[in-house]
Amino acid sequence: MTMKNKKRLRTAILVIVLTIVALIYIYPVFLMFMNSFKPFGEVVADAIALPKEPTFENITYVVKKIKYGSLFMNNVIITLTGLVGIIAFSSIAAYILDRNRNKVSSVIYTLIITPMLIPFQTIMITLLKAMNIIHLDQSKVGLGIQYWGFGIPMATFIFYNFMKTIPKEIDESAHIDGASTFRTFLSVIFPLLKSVTVTVIVLDVMWIWNDFLLPLLMVNSSNKTKTLVLAAYTFVGQMNTKWQYAMTAMSLTVIPSIIAFILLQKYIVEGVVAGAVKG
Amino acid sequence: MSTRSKKSRKELRETIIFTLPALLLICMVMYIPFIMSGYYSLTEWNGIAKNPKFIGFANFATIFSGKSNFLNSLGFTVKYTVFFVIFSNILALILAVALTQKFKLANLYRGIFFIPYIMSMTIVGFIWKFIFTQGLDRIYDILPAEFLKLSWLGDPKLAFYSVSMVGVWQGLGFYIVLYIAGLQAVPKEILEAATVDGASGTQRFFRVVLPLLGPSFTTCIFMSLTNGLKVFDIILALTKGGPGTATYSTTMQIYQEAFTNNNYGLGSAQAIIYFIVVLVITQLVLKAMSLREVEL
Repeated sequence: MTMKNKKRLRTAILVIVLTIVALIYIYPVFLMFMNSFKPFGEVVADAIALPKEPTFENITYVVKKIKYGSLFMNNVIITLTGLVGIIAFSSIAAYILDRNRNKVSSVIYTLIITPMLIPFQTIMITLLKAMNIIHLDQSKVGLGIQYWGFGIPMATFIFYNFMKTIPKEIDESAHIDGASTFRTFLSVIFPLLKSVTVTVIVLDVMWIWNDFLLPLLMVNSSNKTKTLVLAAYTFVGQMNTKWQYAMTAMSLTVIPSIIAFILLQKYIVEGVVAGAVKG
Repeated sequence: MSTRSKKSRKELRETIIFTLPALLLICMVMYIPFIMSGYYSLTEWNGIAKNPKFIGFANFATIFSGKSNFLNSLGFTVKYTVFFVIFSNILALILAVALTQKFKLANLYRGIFFIPYIMSMTIVGFIWKFIFTQGLDRIYDILPAEFLKLSWLGDPKLAFYSVSMVGVWQGLGFYIVLYIAGLQAVPKEILEAATVDGASGTQRFFRVVLPLLGPSFTTCIFMSLTNGLKVFDIILALTKGGPGTATYSTTMQIYQEAFTNNNYGLGSAQAIIYFIVVLVITQLVLKAMSLREVEL
């Protein structure tokens, strides 16, 4: 056998093995979607069989029952609120900390990034109490504001590392033109942060959209902050053996993420890699 | 006043003004609750009473006397983390190597392995609960392999492996893309030089590629370590800590102690110990890895 043929054969075997592994790997997700289209009887009789008479009844039932539309909007509002604050406060803090290097700024920087070492579960008990006192526990915007505090340390860290790559001469020339520090940041520096901002957006959207524990803690105070994942969690708990409804609620919860991933695979993967390597 | 000191005062003022929002927000959700946890860990408090009762280190004594389930949960968490770190990294590295070979649709395959990672961990837990309780019996009918008949969630020993396996399944895609990024950063010239020197494919991988992956290992091991120690959502959905307390993670233990048993003081004490354990383990591992990297 020639070298070239040998190599071809090896690739072919690799692709076959990989295909089998990938199919087994994704099978559970497929199973969830498939069972969303089956009536109760079919799920109980055979969980892995394809639907004999596909039905959309589960979907219409669950969408109405859990008020899917309003939950979806809750997620959008909470995620967007969180995102805007995290980016605004972190980027400007990182900018000023990088440009004005002195003892005070290095202390502030340490104070900002140290919370990355504190696991959420360490503070969750008292967080609930603290948020209750200042009334941030009962609204979507309140929840979004809490994410500011949790997201700023990591985001500042990422922005700070990137800021070093932007030459100081750029802001100096803006200063000479009479622009204030804030003005310089807003119109000169911030537009240059595009790539790193994408990283922060990817990481924070994935985190806030799917976050479970913080909404779980806060939902006792008010139902208005219920997110998709949390609603699916309580709904599945109530459905017990009605797996067809449970599977539908779960499918509806993950489908926005999967669509976003299919459309934006390149950005998402790049963002995740950049975030991990820098963080 | 000289212009120099005027400039540095302006700098100082701006430093404080522009970082103040960030600092205040962090204090609000992290530092203040953290200090409160420290205080409540020294009290007996049911979360409702106006004044928690100060009891000194009694909560810590309770924990270390083994009267609460905390030490057990810590044992589970460490075991889970070890399993999670080892299997996530080995499997991710193997798949990353396979997925960086040249073939059509390689991108599609990478996407497939990444999908569980973008899904909520709670949903992942439920999917597998469905498979363990409804799916396996049906698969056995088609493919009669004995292991499918085992009680994967009902047996305490097996439940550990079920939970860990699901954890690895969910996170694997993340470590795969990190290793892929590392593999792609290996310079082509070095590989070509090794080939010219007569190195076989396996030799090239173990002698050239693997040592160059150092930074990827550090990142992946560290990330899997911290993610393993924080495990919560998957277990809550999959087993609720059961059977019995076999799969109780520390994070779940803290949650239940405070919000189900209403022992906020004891829960806070557990949270503080958990924080110290996580800090010590992560710092030790980080130190060990940075020493190794210098050696290489």
